[in-house]
Amino acid sequence: MWGALLRRGGRGPGCLRGLASGGPPWSQVVSEAEKIVGYPTSFMSLRCLLSDELSNIAMQVRKLVGTKHPLLDTARGFVYDSRNNLQMRGLVVLLISKAAGPSTGDISFQHNMVSGIYSSQRSLAEITELIHTAFLVHRGIVNIGELKSCDGPLKDMQFGNKMAVLSGDFLLANACTSLAQLQNTKVVELISSAIGDLVQGIYYENSKSSEENCLTDDICISTWKEQVFLSHSALLAKSCQAAMELAKHSAEIQDMAFQYGKHMSMSHKLHSDLQPFVKESSADTVAFSLNSAPAVLHQEFLGREAWIKQIREAQGKGNTMDYKKLQAAIKAGKGVTSAMDLCRFHGNRALAALEGFPPSEARAALANIVYAVTRFP
Amino acid sequence: MSSQHPCQRVVVTPGFRVRVAAVPEGGAGAAGLGDTMALRWWWRCGPGSRWEQPLGSLPRLRPPGPGARTPLLPPTPSAAICHFTQRNSTLSFPKICNIFWRFHHTSTSHWCSCSKTVSNEKYQDPFQLGRKDLKNLYEDIKKELLVSAAEFKEMCDYYFDGKGKAFRPMIVVLMARACNIHHNNSREVQASQRSVAIIAEMIHTASLVHDDVIDDANSRRGKMTVNQIWGERKAVLAGDFILSAASVALARIGNTTIISVLTQVIEDLVRGEFLQLGSKENENERFAHYLEKTFKKTASLIANSCKAVSILGCPDPKVHEIAYQYGKNVGIAFQLIDDVLDFTSCADHLGKPAAADLKLGLATGPVLFACRQFPEMNAMIMRRFSKPGDVERARKYVLQSDGVQQTTYLAQRYCHEATREISKLRPSPEREALIQLTEMVLTRDK
Repeated sequence: MWGALLRRGGRGPGCLRGLASGGPPWSQVVSEAEKIVGYPTSFMSLRCLLSDELSNIAMQVRKLVGTKHPLLDTARGFVYDSRNNLQMRGLVVLLISKAAGPSTGDISFQHNMVSGIYSSQRSLAEITELIHTAFLVHRGIVNIGELKSCDGPLKDMQFGNKMAVLSGDFLLANACTSLAQLQNTKVVELISSAIGDLVQGIYYENSKSSEENCLTDDICISTWKEQVFLSHSALLAKSCQAAMELAKHSAEIQDMAFQYGKHMSMSHKLHSDLQPFVKESSADTVAFSLNSAPAVLHQEFLGREAWIKQIREAQGKGNTMDYKKLQAAIKAGKGVTSAMDLCRFHGNRALAALEGFPPSEARAALANIVYAVTRFP
Repeated sequence: MSSQHPCQRVVVTPGFRVRVAAVPEGGAGAAGLGDTMALRWWWRCGPGSRWEQPLGSLPRLRPPGPGARTPLLPPTPSAAICHFTQRNSTLSFPKICNIFWRFHHTSTSHWCSCSKTVSNEKYQDPFQLGRKDLKNLYEDIKKELLVSAAEFKEMCDYYFDGKGKAFRPMIVVLMARACNIHHNNSREVQASQRSVAIIAEMIHTASLVHDDVIDDANSRRGKMTVNQIWGERKAVLAGDFILSAASVALARIGNTTIISVLTQVIEDLVRGEFLQLGSKENENERFAHYLEKTFKKTASLIANSCKAVSILGCPDPKVHEIAYQYGKNVGIAFQLIDDVLDFTSCADHLGKPAAADLKLGLATGPVLFACRQFPEMNAMIMRRFSKPGDVERARKYVLQSDGVQQTTYLAQRYCHEATREISKLRPSPEREALIQLTEMVLTRDK
């Protein structure tokens, strides 16, 4: 498989190519990368998922079937989606650990390595996943005061909230415990601050989505970038940096790992924001966020007033949004292409950061991830 | 010394200036309440029965059990309430406490002639001593909460309004001082020790914010809860943020042992919350379950923060254990009294609704004791007071029973144990304050 990947790429793992040609599909990139780091990363938080506390919650969550509590979807995601995006962060932490290798002059340390990765770095990858998952759960809390009767009985929704707070806290507490066991105060500080960033990022997300009457925030793309950094990039960027700190790599290497994590996840987010606008099959138009990158960029080109006018037109009668109409409006403008440009810009920055690492399979896999998230049909 | 009181004995051991042991008239060694076996035994056999023989440490303290009811303790609800509203009630506890007080006073002046100023008058209020260290506590906490969005900042700062009791930071700084004096007679609180006090209060507050979402609570400390004002989604995030800021502050202390000790608290808090979800069929298990939950949800924070400041102040592991045991015992007593106040105090006074625990389906100490007198409560406990009228009936049963007195008595025992532990440290005004603080835990009414 790896050989096939290399042939497709055209060049060996020795050098990084640009973004022009398309790489292999995402799922392939992930499964190949998992082989490099030694074992499938989806097993990572199994210890946690199998604990008494969470099995108990899994039993209780069945009570929610039939309601619209978001915890149900999140719980389903653990089962069905674990091969996709869910564990991407842990994988990247392992890959960059392997790409950096042991720090020079540190030979005594090396016997702790399995597949070229320190056990502390494996713990860190797991911690990153635990934190990410904890916030997937905490994102799915509902406001009891804003419930509609179609959501389900009030009592069940309260119960769902209770389970969501508890299970998120449980995952977070496990992350904190593992973090403390790393015995590195700098890493604890980095990851704790990443949790703070993530919380603030989600807060911004929430304050937007609460305005359900479909008016967008008046934000420019630089604000969008700041907020997306907090909600989607900070955790991965700081985890990559922390992985370097655990191997006692220099501040320069730490910064490069940070830059890779930051820019790769920015292009990942842009890539997923762009999906509703680049998919060929227009039959199943999905509702997209009016605060996604193409929409925000579209507003920047069009001006706020004209944009609001377009939204009002798409809203029509009965306050149901005609997303198809709105999508067409955005596609007609420059929002989509400039979001793609932005995606590639961050992809290139991520690749540039990788130049600081010696050529290896792991580095090539990290580059392939960038190719996958910058590829459009 | 022995002329002071026949029940007290001072043991001088190497490494410690004074070791106080409460010795029963029978002469057997002091049994600690930390001893779960003894506690289980006490629960099984009932405090009204032959309890004195195995525990035997406090022969003068008569348990307010059904078999040993004294005229001083009429088991009427009004009397119970009276105890918590008038500080100098006729409960047997203050007597013992005075004995203790006198003893400690004299022992202090005996062993530490340099501190002649020790007197009951001056150290009546331990809060006076720690107040200097805790000046600007809330301002400093707010500085840790670096948030750019104005509304989110307001949410995170909401409970750090300076109106809380700051009970935990107070214990922590007093413990820090007591340990520093014990170690090298230092009169300073280290910056890192003060950080522990700040972190303890932050972790506590973060857990309050989440608890209020879990319990769907409307009011706390006399104001609306965060979830009531801003909704559950944002409230959970505010709790998470406070916790992450506490973690950052913890990491900046730069000591991996301290990180491990305080991280244990976070894990215990969550596990305690899980314990609260379940209930046990068996009565004895139920009580052990209740105590374990109480330790994890309340005492672990106090115990481990005390341990953390002791580690920072003194290298002796024995001192760390003393600090931990003191915090653990005070913490459990604190929560037991909290559970009592839920029955005896009114909503206005508490700043939160009364009988809140029952409404949440929780069977706390007073209920578990009452259930032994009124077995019909068993069914209610098992269904978590979910049927209409359950809460009112259970409350009535509790107030008719001696559940409130028994729980208070148990809290006294934990406080006594805390006092016994802390008395192993070198005498200091701060140590006396910590001893007096155990009494305040018992006599508080909110």
